[in-house]
Amino acid sequence: MTEPEIKPEVMRISWGPQHPMSGQTRILIDVDGEVVRRIIADIGFTHRGIEKILENRTFIQGIVPIERMVMADTANIALGYVQAVEEALGIEVPERAKWIRSLICEMGRINSHLYAFGLQVECTGYFPAVFLWTTVDREVLLDLFEKLTGARWSYSFFIPGGVRADLPEGFRDEVRRAVEYLRRRFQDYWDAMVENPLFEMRNRGVGVLSREDAIRLGATGPVLRGSGVDMDVRKDEPYAAYGDLDFKVITEREGDCFARLKVRFHEIEQSLNIMEQIADEIPGGPVRTKVPLFPRSKPGVEALSRVETARGELGVHIFTDGGLKPYRVKINSPTLRNMYVFERLAELNRVLVADLPVILYSIDPWYLDCDR
Amino acid sequence: MDVVTLIWLYILGLVRWLLHEAPLQVINFIRSLPTLIPELLKWLWDFIWFNFKPLAQIIVIPGLAFILLFAMIAVWFERKFLARAMLRIGPYYCGKRSGWLQVIADFLKLFFKEFVIPDDAEKVLFLAAPVLLPTIPALAITLIPFDSNWVLFDAGGLSLPVFLAIAGLAPVIPIFTGWAANNKYTIIGSFRTAYLYISGEIPLVICAAATALLAGSLDLVDIVEAQKPIWFAIPQFIGFLIFFVGLILEAERTPFDVPTAETELVMGWRTEFSGVLFGFTMMAEYLSFLGWTLLFIVLYLGGYLGPSLFGVPLYDHIFWMLLKLAVIVVIIVLIRTVYPRLRLDQTLRLGWNYLMPLSLLNLLMTIILKWGLII
Repeated sequence: MTEPEIKPEVMRISWGPQHPMSGQTRILIDVDGEVVRRIIADIGFTHRGIEKILENRTFIQGIVPIERMVMADTANIALGYVQAVEEALGIEVPERAKWIRSLICEMGRINSHLYAFGLQVECTGYFPAVFLWTTVDREVLLDLFEKLTGARWSYSFFIPGGVRADLPEGFRDEVRRAVEYLRRRFQDYWDAMVENPLFEMRNRGVGVLSREDAIRLGATGPVLRGSGVDMDVRKDEPYAAYGDLDFKVITEREGDCFARLKVRFHEIEQSLNIMEQIADEIPGGPVRTKVPLFPRSKPGVEALSRVETARGELGVHIFTDGGLKPYRVKINSPTLRNMYVFERLAELNRVLVADLPVILYSIDPWYLDCDR
Repeated sequence: MDVVTLIWLYILGLVRWLLHEAPLQVINFIRSLPTLIPELLKWLWDFIWFNFKPLAQIIVIPGLAFILLFAMIAVWFERKFLARAMLRIGPYYCGKRSGWLQVIADFLKLFFKEFVIPDDAEKVLFLAAPVLLPTIPALAITLIPFDSNWVLFDAGGLSLPVFLAIAGLAPVIPIFTGWAANNKYTIIGSFRTAYLYISGEIPLVICAAATALLAGSLDLVDIVEAQKPIWFAIPQFIGFLIFFVGLILEAERTPFDVPTAETELVMGWRTEFSGVLFGFTMMAEYLSFLGWTLLFIVLYLGGYLGPSLFGVPLYDHIFWMLLKLAVIVVIIVLIRTVYPRLRLDQTLRLGWNYLMPLSLLNLLMTIILKWGLII
């Protein structure tokens, strides 16, 4: 990236990959004393060419590389791709498979939100206690994943035509038990962290994004809902089993870091409700339709799928040319959209150096998702 | 008389003395032994006490051994305690599960590590800072009375002002270091230090003045002795709270670790230190924490005075001082687990808007109280 010129009155800091809280990204900040005048995100710093890789894989092989986009939330990302492939190839999915997909997606969402919650709390200067609490509590979900799919992180469980396997015996009871445990733990989080006055001081009124700006800048996911816009692909364009499930879209009006945190927090509660509903009401039947190992596409088909990942709306757009591989896959990732919002926040607010990590982690960035 | 006769006379006299006088003198000497030995021992003890007391003070308490032991135990306790809060076990393998050897192992590791001096750094200042940093709080600790006759550097009626003056030097070094390291994070960190110390130290000094006023002396021993009827934590309750907040602020401990905020400024003004240089800055952090905590105990919690049970005061001893120190350390580590870091502006607002007026109010109340007592 070409770096913009530095004005004489500011100091440019490469808030780069060596910084303890920056992750893999590189962000340039212009600071005037403690005040951040400008944020420049180096988008493309971790570019891995996932879109190009997908062009060189058959439709089913493509599931594995696309999961690498967001490791904390592989289920939702893979679902976006698999649904687009199904639409392009005209594959029907049995009802039970859809419910299992929803179950795994919600577990993935909780997993990802826990990670984001822990990081945002750590950014405010907590000794990383809460981050490790959330890490320990994710174990419950990871054990469930392991039992169901055989893998703890990237499970490649969704395939065009359904899911790879049915629920194992006694799995529904285990889901209910995990939900009960996590509910109890979230009450602890709420009491210990969210209601802590000092924590609130660090987050309230920081990085405010008004409703109009959120719409204008194209924010998505919890960032958009934290600014009071009631938008969730699961409700607006129900996919998988979400049409039959009962859940609320969480919104908060304030639009600051605290609101985003609370949105994530309440979304976890909604996801737990969904998990319980699925465990109670999942219909019977087959979990996959027969699909050839190397399905051949029809030429000139376009398919678009939208899913609500933990970070926001993911769009996967597939073009086919009649071959065994997609002709082109375009991915519209949520973090890319939110990173633009993050860059603008320094113009919309008075951002201090101390607020920068809090704001960055309140949009829950996943840089590999942003750069693809 | 010739020489031979003289010699014979001398020998005769000697024999006579041996036969008549010497036994009497030996008997007298043996008779006086019971009174002589205690005198001899007392003289020996005085000799050792006079010559070795300062040595003991320098080496044992409050000198090197105490400081190193405090740093070791505090670091060990903090790591173990925080690990528990984080659902971990903490140091485990070095030193049989309790992990107490881990601290020594880490110190050795730091000591033998290569340290890097940045090319653009101001080398003399950069290297001087880690040496000066632990010196200043260690110097201040020498003024603390651990018992009524156990003061390493007895500044008499000036000990409180001298302590505050020495401790007031502390922020100067981080400020220079931040500039000398020639790094953007260190420079921001050092300016944060400058802001922070000004807002924190003035309320501290005012509160200390109020206690001195109440005790009627600037001598730390006199201030402790004046707390015999009641510890100053109760008549000076506002000052007690302000001093506690200010002490965390001065020691750069968690709610106020703004200058070395890890998630914001990598390591603040300490970013460029590596190896043993970093080890010394860590040491300095614990020492300044120790120094202010000891002053806090002396001013408000009765120093070496024991608590009185049912009106009967217990024996005054250094032990009470160490016990109080341990309690304060536990409370401050506990605070680290449950509070996030404040922003710089919030910390300054706390200092100037709340601590400062309250400390002035406290001073005013003390003056009125004292005036009332005199009348």
